[in-house]
Amino acid sequence: MEIKAIGCEPLQLKRMHIENGHTLDVYRQTGGYESLKKAMNMTSDQIIDEVKASALRGRGGAGFPTGMKWSFVPRDSPKPKYIVCNADESEPGTFKDRYLLERDPHALIEGMLIGAFALGVETCYIYYRGEYKYLIEIMDRAIEEARQANLVGKNILGSDFNCEFYTHTGAGAYICGEETALLSSLEGFRGHPRMKPPFPAVEGLYACPTVVNNVETLTSVPQIIEMGGKEWQELGTEKSGGTKLWSVSGHVKKPGVYELPMGYHDMEKFILEDCGGMLRDDKKLKACIPGGSSVYAMRADQIIGKNVTLDYEGLVEAGSMVGSGGFIVIDETVDMVDSTKNLTEFYKHESCGWCTPCREGTDWLVKIFDRIWAGGGRPEDAQLILDLCDNIEGKSFCPLGDAAAWAIQGAVKRFPEDFKKHLLQNGNGAGTSGS
Amino acid sequence: MAEELIKVTIDGQEFEVEKGRPLIDVINEKGFGVPSFCYYADLELQASCRMCLVRIEKMPKLQASCVIRCTDGMEVTTKSEEIEKAQRAMGEFLLANHPLDCPVCDRGGECELQEVIFDWGDVEERFDEPKNAHPEKFLSPIVANDQQRCILCKRCTRVCHEWMGEDAIEAGNRGSNTVIGTYGGWLNCSQCGNCIEVCPTGTLLDGVYRHETRPWELDQTITTCTYCSDGCQLSVGSRADEVHRIVARDRYVNGINGEFLCIKGRFAHGFVNHGDRIKTPLIRYKKGGKLIPSTWDDAIAFAAERIKESKKAGVVATSRLTNETVHTLKRFADECRDGTSYAVSDTYDLAPFFENLSAPLCTHKEIRFAETIVVIGGDVDEEQPLTAKQIRQAVRNGGANLILVNDTPSRLSHQASQFIHVNPGTVEAFVLALADPSAADMAAAKMGIGRAEIDKARETANATKGDLIIMFGKELGAEAQAVAANLPSRHENRNVKLHPLAGYCNSVGASDMMPGRKPVADVVAGSDALLIAGSLSDEEFAAADLASKPFVAVQELFLTDTAAAADVVFPAASFAESDGTYTNNDGFVQRVRRAIDPVHQAKPDWMITSLLASELGADFGYSFSASAVFRSIAESHEAYEGLRYPDLKDETRPVRVKHKLVSGADVSGAVASLRDRVSQFPDAADKITEEPRVGHKLHRVTTMTGKTPQFHLLANGNPKPDDLLVSPLFQFNPDGSPKKEEESEVAAG
Amino acid sequence: MATVATDYTNKVKVTDEVAEFPESVVEEMRSHLTKYPKDRSRSALIPLLFVIQRERGYIDNPGVNFLAQFLNLEVTDIWETATFYSMFNMHPVGKYHIQMCKTLSCKILGEPELTDHICSKLGIKPGETTKDGKFTVTRVECLGSCGTAPMMQIGFEYHENLTKEKLDDLIDSLE
Repeated sequence: MEIKAIGCEPLQLKRMHIENGHTLDVYRQTGGYESLKKAMNMTSDQIIDEVKASALRGRGGAGFPTGMKWSFVPRDSPKPKYIVCNADESEPGTFKDRYLLERDPHALIEGMLIGAFALGVETCYIYYRGEYKYLIEIMDRAIEEARQANLVGKNILGSDFNCEFYTHTGAGAYICGEETALLSSLEGFRGHPRMKPPFPAVEGLYACPTVVNNVETLTSVPQIIEMGGKEWQELGTEKSGGTKLWSVSGHVKKPGVYELPMGYHDMEKFILEDCGGMLRDDKKLKACIPGGSSVYAMRADQIIGKNVTLDYEGLVEAGSMVGSGGFIVIDETVDMVDSTKNLTEFYKHESCGWCTPCREGTDWLVKIFDRIWAGGGRPEDAQLILDLCDNIEGKSFCPLGDAAAWAIQGAVKRFPEDFKKHLLQNGNGAGTSGS
Repeated sequence: MAEELIKVTIDGQEFEVEKGRPLIDVINEKGFGVPSFCYYADLELQASCRMCLVRIEKMPKLQASCVIRCTDGMEVTTKSEEIEKAQRAMGEFLLANHPLDCPVCDRGGECELQEVIFDWGDVEERFDEPKNAHPEKFLSPIVANDQQRCILCKRCTRVCHEWMGEDAIEAGNRGSNTVIGTYGGWLNCSQCGNCIEVCPTGTLLDGVYRHETRPWELDQTITTCTYCSDGCQLSVGSRADEVHRIVARDRYVNGINGEFLCIKGRFAHGFVNHGDRIKTPLIRYKKGGKLIPSTWDDAIAFAAERIKESKKAGVVATSRLTNETVHTLKRFADECRDGTSYAVSDTYDLAPFFENLSAPLCTHKEIRFAETIVVIGGDVDEEQPLTAKQIRQAVRNGGANLILVNDTPSRLSHQASQFIHVNPGTVEAFVLALADPSAADMAAAKMGIGRAEIDKARETANATKGDLIIMFGKELGAEAQAVAANLPSRHENRNVKLHPLAGYCNSVGASDMMPGRKPVADVVAGSDALLIAGSLSDEEFAAADLASKPFVAVQELFLTDTAAAADVVFPAASFAESDGTYTNNDGFVQRVRRAIDPVHQAKPDWMITSLLASELGADFGYSFSASAVFRSIAESHEAYEGLRYPDLKDETRPVRVKHKLVSGADVSGAVASLRDRVSQFPDAADKITEEPRVGHKLHRVTTMTGKTPQFHLLANGNPKPDDLLVSPLFQFNPDGSPKKEEESEVAAG
Repeated sequence: MATVATDYTNKVKVTDEVAEFPESVVEEMRSHLTKYPKDRSRSALIPLLFVIQRERGYIDNPGVNFLAQFLNLEVTDIWETATFYSMFNMHPVGKYHIQMCKTLSCKILGEPELTDHICSKLGIKPGETTKDGKFTVTRVECLGSCGTAPMMQIGFEYHENLTKEKLDDLIDSLE
């Protein structure tokens, strides 16, 4: 597995290959906690302005401008305020945060400390997905190291800034990556998303103002403070600042985590050259899902020769989305009915069951795919699937429903030939066993 | 306070509405109509069913109108192709795994899912995949559950949490595997059945009524509950002179309780048509002989003769009787024979309270919106469930302060902002501490609490700007009641309201109807001929030695200990068989209506008494009409002046009786004697720390509740059967022991 | 034809039995409580359920009773939370809980064949436990390690870039 930066200096990945990069000593030797010191000499507004200037957008998938999110927190609230780091990385095809948490935990602590200082937060939680237990142990050690060095706890670096850090674990629920569901889960309840408004910035954890940010978002903050927001932004494009991590998996020779500047040109080169090309040389690229499973899959002919730039705008223009930056590369051996069935099962399994369209819709869709796969496909199924997706999209309580709909719609619309093969058989069984 | 009015446009029509109201309410009120399942007034919002989607200008997606608050200039579209498609789609999704077994579903005919699909759903069903199936099973002896019909609106889990404070039923599992249920699949709770009531589908079903009849075959009669003093309005479903079920569903009845009822009100109606009802009048011609069935004429004549012969007659009413009956008994005592004494059998006598009443009684609605609620003694959860629910909602949804003074922890004490846990039997000392600050230290010592607790409660009360409600239970003796009734006059600038936690459905009314009554023991001891309507309490019965009385006549439903000791027993009609009124602890006088004809030869109690009176020569002029009796009440009781039955016909607008308010009464004597009594309380005592199990009073088997077999199982620990698919009644004996195989086969066969 | 869902928790015989834990474990549980505001002890529910699962093998009735007392919750409150999360086992599993990641990246790189292989090796179907109670194999959704697909988790331990040979060696090495 590759972990490297292409087209820019490694920022996020700076310490990935340094021995003991996860320790405080090495972190400090490589410039760590200098940004915190710098930030502590700035005002809240200055810090937030730098983050705004950086055009940093949330790296969890929704891409909401981080500076704006921070500015929503009522500064004069008498209630305690919280920063919660969303380390519930569960989007299929996404595994970047795992390496940040494993090899550079102090970057996260520093990013959260800067946010905490700017927003007047005294308690930070890091919410891990339950499966990442070994990472919690690493983080707990890092927090303890930072505490010994007076970077966490009371009177940080001799100032009157206090900030406490705690790790918390989920227990296997994709939906808890949604920020309000994460907060429900952190309060010990079922991970159901909550109504917005009120947004977490106003009423989040324990009904107090709360900022929920993805790991990569927070680890970007020290760099932004160090370089200055404007300069960081200029690494990328005007609307998509800085660099971004992309997780690449599937049929490529060199899967891994790649740091690219926003606006990287182009997608074809990235897959076919930077990632080592297709896994099996004789198999051609068929599709790529660029943003974790929840976005429209792209056909090879939407990528090859199309000069797709890798940033928020470029991918939308090309017919998909950045999402969480999880590339799943698929070669021509894969039947898109099969792969879509697989993802539909995922969404059904992970639907929290709160709202009707997502709960019943994904259940129904899985049953249709099961029937198709067992050889019972009907010509009208494609239309039925699209109509059901339309009935879920935009009507569900939270974006999970939309995500499921997009993943499925994309496949049906863009790979009709795969579906036709199954559906025209009309009950005569084109399916194969197992899935 | 006038609400700010704003303009909202719905489907092109402009309306003025109060700012911040839920959009769904406005849409439905103005007659446009959007369907909904999960939205339920005064419960936490969910926006999960997605039925109530509308289009609001400047908002990107369709919005669930239940969570949208009206803002100025809002432009709403409720009907368009897009919205109709969404509504059809949600209906289709909800029906996907729904079994569509309406022909065998108890809810068929009054099912919200059915109605919404008829109005908004699709004609064609596209789903033809295998359905997720769950077997129909029992969650408890009286809650049956068909999970497959569930649409996961979670009204049940929310009423359980918010109304009952129990968290007994919850959603488990995830996604399309989500089920409503409990850990272990067995429901151990107060079994109020509100989850059944609010269920919009046939998922949670009344296990007492299950499969008895179809809802459209039932006659619905709006009447008042015959159990506690809250006076819930309910609908008796009857068919062919048989009561089949009781509901509070808002399509049938809209009383002070909304759709709320407790286990007794909802399920304990089995006594009405029970085979043990007394079928004919009974006469014991000779002491030591047997009670022999007779005719009404003979029984009335026999009783009249005996009463005529007696030296001194006595009348005992009970507080479960209608106002009409108690009033008639009072007239019987006054007009038939000089010097007849009379009494009301109740858990405690409210006379000292009403004599010193210095503020109006508070209504249940006022409890819901109160700012501070002080509950002194009582056991609201078990004895006045509606009051408990209102308190809970006031605290949870309205942020009210709850100060609970009690010697026993309860469910409510978890929600109290201040739980003053006093020594056993010392609740009265708190009233003393409130009335006489100089005695506060002594009272605190006797209650085993710090003085600061009293001061804190007093501060909370003093800081209250809205309604301050004081409730008290039966622990308060006569002096304490008088002092409590006088408390509001000490807070003249405050909105203080009183709420007696009275014992029975007509405790307040019976107290109104019989001024000048004596204690039961005095009347029994001082009379050689007794007319008892209802039965004496166990203690009263033990003390009375009825067998030694020359003559006792009893009007009863069942051959209770009291009735069995009588010389003449008249079969009385139950609440479902007679017309009348009850006065509840809000002071509302509410109608009791005849749902079925009296069973066997039973007659309404007031009619029996007036027949006896006319045999004794007194004509009350009732002409067999309950409304004439009520007119007589209105003419002879100031508080009921001018009222007639037509005034009471609308249960949504209950009528208050005008209890006389005494302001500035001198209660110093009562305070002094209360101080004396409190000073004699022991100085030290062990506190009761164990919280009694939920239902310890609600599930008690009594003459009436015991006629519903499910109560026996609940009272005996609600054992969980091995087989949840078969009614627990077939698997257990009434004492809770498992039935042996052959027995259960016979029972099941 | 309908599929019948099985709800294992319906079969739990709820008793009053309360699990007992050594002082060190109780101390560990108390340390979780210190992370949250005092009146928000329910926040510790998920971490504590993991402790119960580690100590008792699965979320058993005495363990639930213990938590209900420890956090002052109803058992049904614990049930509603625990059954939401796929990592909590409400019924016993084998000593080694093999969780094969079945989502897209792992799937297209050969997870179905690996699962078939391991299941036939152990003589069970996915979701089942071997007779000796040693192994349970389940297929789970994305474990967040797609770059090293196909992969699986045994207990909390990740095993990545799997091949049949690697699987065989691994299974054979487990005591």
